[in-house]
Amino acid sequence: MEHVSAKGNFNLRGIVVRFGFLIVFALFFAFFATWNPVFISGNNLLNIVEGSAILMIIALGMTLIVATGGIDLSVGIALDFGAAFAVVAMKTYDMGWGSAVCAGLIGGSLVGLFNAALVVGLRISPFLATLGTFFIGSSVQRIFTNGGGPISHRRMPDGFRNIAQGDVFGIPSEVILAAVLVVIYYLVLERSVWGRRVHAMGMQRSASIVAGIRVNRILIACFVFASITCAVGGLISAANIRMFTPLSGFSYLLDAIAAVFIGAALHPRGRPNVLGTVAGVLFLGMVTNGLNLMGLNFNTKDALSGIILVSALALAVAQRNMRNADGD
Amino acid sequence: MQANARHQKHALATFVGLLPLIIFLALLLYVGLNAPNFLTFMNLKLVLAQSLPVVLAVIGLSAVVMAGGDDVVSGGIDLSIPATAVLCAGIVAVITTAGLSLVLAAGAALVACMLVGGINALLVTLLRMTPLLTTLAMFVAVVGINNVITSRRRLDLTSDAIASLRQDFAFGLPLGIIIVGILVLISYHLLHRTKWGLNLQAAGGSRDAAEISGIRVNTLVAQSYLLAAFMGFVTGFFILARGNGYSPGTEDNLMLEMVLANFLGAAFSPRRVVTMWGAVLGAVLVAAISIGLKTIGVNVFWTDLIKGALIVTVVALSAISERVR
Repeated sequence: MEHVSAKGNFNLRGIVVRFGFLIVFALFFAFFATWNPVFISGNNLLNIVEGSAILMIIALGMTLIVATGGIDLSVGIALDFGAAFAVVAMKTYDMGWGSAVCAGLIGGSLVGLFNAALVVGLRISPFLATLGTFFIGSSVQRIFTNGGGPISHRRMPDGFRNIAQGDVFGIPSEVILAAVLVVIYYLVLERSVWGRRVHAMGMQRSASIVAGIRVNRILIACFVFASITCAVGGLISAANIRMFTPLSGFSYLLDAIAAVFIGAALHPRGRPNVLGTVAGVLFLGMVTNGLNLMGLNFNTKDALSGIILVSALALAVAQRNMRNADGD
Repeated sequence: MQANARHQKHALATFVGLLPLIIFLALLLYVGLNAPNFLTFMNLKLVLAQSLPVVLAVIGLSAVVMAGGDDVVSGGIDLSIPATAVLCAGIVAVITTAGLSLVLAAGAALVACMLVGGINALLVTLLRMTPLLTTLAMFVAVVGINNVITSRRRLDLTSDAIASLRQDFAFGLPLGIIIVGILVLISYHLLHRTKWGLNLQAAGGSRDAAEISGIRVNTLVAQSYLLAAFMGFVTGFFILARGNGYSPGTEDNLMLEMVLANFLGAAFSPRRVVTMWGAVLGAVLVAAISIGLKTIGVNVFWTDLIKGALIVTVVALSAISERVR
């Protein structure tokens, strides 16, 4: 599947091919900007980044799992659990915001532990295991909320509300949280020995076992780490709307997968990677925002963003194929 | 002694291998004991009638999985079938509601559905995109387009021909069940008894080996996506018949039940591969469990949990039986 190019990608065509997607990114940007000048205003650009913060966080968790060679369909459940545990901790148990954050992260990690038990313990393939987790997690939320009604908590401690609504020097705190996580993920996955092991395992699992990598331990760590990350997204969404809405995490699933695979197609060797995911998330965020500003009917907007999604993925993959042809 | 031990091990593997089916039948028996009219002929007909769209969709899906290999992430999978099905249902509903003929509506729907299949085939074979990703993205795009076509409204059925799939009877069975039965037999013959079908399975079993022996894998894979799109087209009519019209949002449940039926079917088969019989059996059992749980008054909130636990149990058991062997 993936060709490792021996010659490197330093020829001119390789560079042009590599940035093809970014050119399309720029074209879309220019198109939206000419359609509606508001698009390009500083305020709106900040809106795009702020609106993408939760998706960015979920997509980072997804990047980690896809890098191990799997996929995680239960990212939304981890988000919901993070929000639910935090809101219930504050509302029912009257905890301070610090403890509520911890409760949320622990709640998210339960999802990762369950996935890890299925994938590592029972050796179920990640797709089916996390699909099972998705079904079970959705049902648990329905049972817990007696059918799926939201749990609202208007009088949240200020500290908790600041997770989404505070700012530092005018930069919204959710953007800062997402940026910090991007840096952490970049350092861990792309710049550390541990990250090398994760990639090695995703590319050649049996070879990495022979090489002495403790595959099972890494897999467990990845699932737990990813689910805690998604729980952070849940904390932000809970703080934003001051309530826990059951099953709300599902809406991020497809966009997160798309962002990761757009990012992977941008990588010279087609690997999922943190910076590529960031580009993918910003692209999707820009398209959503741009289509919103065009003032289209809700259904038309949905259809257009679906078509753009398919085309963007096809383009990114076509570009990778051309690149591989260059490398061979 | 050694032969005996091996024999015992084999018997154990067979038993573990049959467990998924046993669990299902036990669950149905439990439902039957708690709701006496569940296991009657009338009710079983109802279960069959409910399962028809899933049966049709899963035939298409199993063809794609056979041709592409059964690894979920890198092998063949077509998640866009439910979207194709609602696209057909939506187009037919809109055109017939506008007072135009059913033939015209069916023709337009067929063109649209085959276009979706063609794009899938092109992206997967020519661009070598991962099928999971391709068809998931196509699902979103097609559902989006369909929502524009139907404006997300409920459209009541105006065509008597489609309603007769549900209402009319032949040989004591609803017409729909008979037609789907015939389609199942035809596709069984096509996929398991013809040269084309065997080549398809060879392509999915080992792509490299198939290519070396001269099978044109890409052509077969492309054809499997077109077949899947066609099954999606047929499914559309049965969705209209079952729901007595078009309702927005049918696709999500169809997608989950289709995927569930497909993988349960693989767990039922002796060699743990996707087969058509397994998939059809899976589809009927999934419908039976859904209706059965409703009949004995299990809270709706719990049904997903039970389905999720079923997936996990069945797939885990099939992994275990592989290891025992």
